[in-house]
Amino acid sequence: MPHLTEEQLVSHYYQDDEPKGVPEHLGACADCFAQYETIRRVLMLVAEAPVPERSDDYGTQIWNRLRWKLGSDRRRKAGWISGLAVAAALAVAFFAGHFWRAKHEVVPIATTPPSVTALPRDHSDRILLLVVGDHLDSTESVLLEVANADPQKNLDIENERRRAGELVATNRIYRQTATQNGNERIASVLADLEPVLIEISHAGTTLSSNELAELQKRIEAKGLLFKVRVISAETSNPTPRKDNDRESNRI
Amino acid sequence: MELTDLAAVSRARGGDADAFRTLVERHSRAIFRVAYRMTGNEHDADDVVQETFLRAYRQIDRFEERANFGTWVHRIAINCSLDLLRSRGRHEKHRVNDSEDGEMIREFESTDPQPDRLLLSAELQQHVVSALDRLSGNERTAFMLRHFEGMPVEEIGRTLGIQVNAAKHTIFRAVRKLRESLEPFVRSTPCRT
Repeated sequence: MPHLTEEQLVSHYYQDDEPKGVPEHLGACADCFAQYETIRRVLMLVAEAPVPERSDDYGTQIWNRLRWKLGSDRRRKAGWISGLAVAAALAVAFFAGHFWRAKHEVVPIATTPPSVTALPRDHSDRILLLVVGDHLDSTESVLLEVANADPQKNLDIENERRRAGELVATNRIYRQTATQNGNERIASVLADLEPVLIEISHAGTTLSSNELAELQKRIEAKGLLFKVRVISAETSNPTPRKDNDRESNRI
Repeated sequence: MELTDLAAVSRARGGDADAFRTLVERHSRAIFRVAYRMTGNEHDADDVVQETFLRAYRQIDRFEERANFGTWVHRIAINCSLDLLRSRGRHEKHRVNDSEDGEMIREFESTDPQPDRLLLSAELQQHVVSALDRLSGNERTAFMLRHFEGMPVEEIGRTLGIQVNAAKHTIFRAVRKLRESLEPFVRSTPCRT
């Protein structure tokens, strides 16, 4: 048998597939045995490569760093589900009101009680402010991940992509509802957010540095994070909206 | 009575944060060791540990009860480490200056290189770290998976998205580079028993 190659010696060390007769050859050939011993000793040395020690409370430290992330994950998940439910309720309320109004416009009745059509609208206004706040918080966290990433490097956006996909549907419903309610500021911000959310949701799992830089430019150019924070702050502390044409909208 | 991993997973699935905390506290140090060996950097390893448990939490419904949680989370850690290495483009990065290497080798050549004695040497440990840092990202990963994790070559190929032969040769290249760097410290007359 000819001398063993380095590959055969390494395979023998790891007990990977190797030609028959290797152990016997090593027993008979001093040169090959010396080569094998060198490889074995090198690999044993590497096995002793130091790993920095972590203290006994390392797990607790990790948990403390993780806790808020897991909490926001749970809130986001719950918020998304309840957001969808509220959005669905808003949509039903809006279309019911719209249908009711259309029906009465065909046959105007002067004595129609104003409270009937005003009720869904007032409710939807309040609900809209409530749910848009949560929606904007979730959207902000997605945008922050992208905006704060290093534009020189690729970015893994698997989670953001999934979250953006969830946010697109609710964003659309809130925008339509805000438009119908005459809340143009919220509608405008949501309209600005929509194409960016769609772009993130349609991206691959990894953004190249060029794609990332392009997306960051768009977020910055439209001042999206600033707008989101302003509206988010307003929705968390809403003041009664002066709506001079509210009465004129009633039938 | 101590909560088993399986019971903790079951409770964590039901939204019990303390149960998941138990899993984090129990496995963090082991995951750090894997992450450090894969990334070669403490801060990166800390990031990998966090990301690993975040992913584990998000995917906990996918955990199969017949599996071992430690093994499962271990595998997530390897994937997180790979993602981090890929995103940082370390694949072709060599961090050690060759001339410094040469000086260190000469410095150690005059010593009596008995492995068990040398293992006590902090300088030698540093040299091993440097030798590992000279490996490319793929070489380091393939080697670590084979050497420390005992992963079969076929699985290493799948993990790295390369053919089995390519995986095998990546490991060979890694061992050759390590041998080139470290052979001066282990060279001695073979002793048959």
